[in-house]
Amino acid sequence: MAPTSLYPRNTVKKIVKAHADDRPLSKNVDILIFLNYELFLMELVKEASIASKQSGERGITARSVRKVRENCLRKFKG
Amino acid sequence: MSDSARKKQRTTTRNSEAPENLRQLAGVIPKPSTPFRRASSAGLTPGSRRTPTVTIRTPGTAARTPRGGPGGRPAAARRTALTTPHAIRALRERSARTPGHVRRRSGRIQRETPRDALRQLSRVLKPNPRQIRVSPEPTPRNAALDLPDVEDGPDLVAPRLSMPLGDMYDDDDSFHEAPPRQSLLPDIPDDADTGTMHSLEFGRRALSEDPRRMFTSRVSERFADLNELGVDGDEFEIDGTFINRRATVDVEQLFDDAVDDALDDTTTEIRALTGRRDGHASDINLGVFGESDEPDEPTFRFVIPPRIQPQPQEQAPPDEEESAEEQHEDETMNRDVEMDDQPELEASDEDAPGGLELEGWESDHEEGGDADLQAYRGEVSAVDRSLLQQIPEPQTGPKKRAGRRRKEIQENKFGHLYPSFPEATVKRLATSFAKSQGTKAKISKDTLAALMQATDWYFQQVGEDLAAYSQHGGRRIIEERDVVTLMKRYV
Repeated sequence: MAPTSLYPRNTVKKIVKAHADDRPLSKNVDILIFLNYELFLMELVKEASIASKQSGERGITARSVRKVRENCLRKFKG
Repeated sequence: MSDSARKKQRTTTRNSEAPENLRQLAGVIPKPSTPFRRASSAGLTPGSRRTPTVTIRTPGTAARTPRGGPGGRPAAARRTALTTPHAIRALRERSARTPGHVRRRSGRIQRETPRDALRQLSRVLKPNPRQIRVSPEPTPRNAALDLPDVEDGPDLVAPRLSMPLGDMYDDDDSFHEAPPRQSLLPDIPDDADTGTMHSLEFGRRALSEDPRRMFTSRVSERFADLNELGVDGDEFEIDGTFINRRATVDVEQLFDDAVDDALDDTTTEIRALTGRRDGHASDINLGVFGESDEPDEPTFRFVIPPRIQPQPQEQAPPDEEESAEEQHEDETMNRDVEMDDQPELEASDEDAPGGLELEGWESDHEEGGDADLQAYRGEVSAVDRSLLQQIPEPQTGPKKRAGRRRKEIQENKFGHLYPSFPEATVKRLATSFAKSQGTKAKISKDTLAALMQATDWYFQQVGEDLAAYSQHGGRRIIEERDVVTLMKRYV
């Protein structure tokens, strides 16, 4: 794990570019996008942990994630 | 000891008197072996100044070897015996040095906390612990009550039913969105005259229509719908396979099934009506219900996979789509114009549905692993979604699945290929976030799969949003301000 980079920059670029109908990304956009993704994931994990606690489960379960992710995605919708 | 005492006696006493003193000392000395008694009796021994030396000597020796014997006895003896200020001071110093002394004090302080006082007071006031007996009575009540309260307070039966349904679809709401079927149902009776054709169309339409509506917008918005689509897609596939079978076997049964479907909105009822459909639906929809139907499913899949195998994932997606479309058209001869429209729509702005389906399918793969669904079940869901566009793709699904786990290349609605976001990064981030949340940082495989699906949806959503922003700005390039604008939209 040590040698792995902080995040796969090229992968993020490719993914976003593909979803954006092949529009090119300017210089540092992918970094901002990844930061935004981190915020999203943080939100997702937070909400999932809350949901799992409410349902009496321990830790984060797939079920709680599925329950919460829709609302989280809505929050980050443009 | 005795020798040293004699020498001292000699030095102090005269030589003539020495023998007498020695004798007396000889008689006395054996006694001094026991220190405490000696102290008092020593004073009685010859009146010379040196007699006290015996008493002093015993404590002195004790002082020299304080650690040797058990601390309690010598200490008590010293306290009684010690008279000299030096010895007393030494004793004090020693006691001050020993950490045990301090410990005792601290312990004393702790003991003296008001709480203890209260406790003692309570013991004095109510020596009898009868209250404990009272507590056990309520506990059984609590245990009984807690279970219903935690799970579902109001209704035991209803919640249980809802729970399995939720598992099936991943979202309860989506399940209730069945109305599209209802709308189809009225059509069926009208078309009922033509019989089997309509029955087949009915199932396909309902499934296809829902996803299209859903797909017009983003995949992320219709998570539940995607799940449903997966279910519907299964029916589709099944129908497609069934169509061949049914056409050869029984048209009347199909007609009957269609009628039954029209009557019943719920998928479960449909399953009950048609055994084959039941198997598929159960596989797709329910983790719980599906098991009984599972045996049937494998047969279907086994038939399909051989076709798929020759086609690797990496094969040009457009070719697959074309072939799929062709097949789709052939099979959907009976289908409504809508089905025909799909390819057109794909070409046009509404291509999104096709792309969305693909993405959804990809996401489904991961979800399948999450949902405890068996690998083949996940395959089915993927097949279903792919069916919306193409029949052959579902077949390729299982192989793609295996490929994805290594390094998957996905295709979106625009036909662009893109790599999947690495799981390791997601897991690392999620673990760190979970730790910061204070919850159990362990992330299971299922959870990771759910997170991965959310990640895919997120990037799709972000990509589409950014494209819209940049287009609105009259640009082709996505710039930082687009992202900033997107982030400012955070609710």
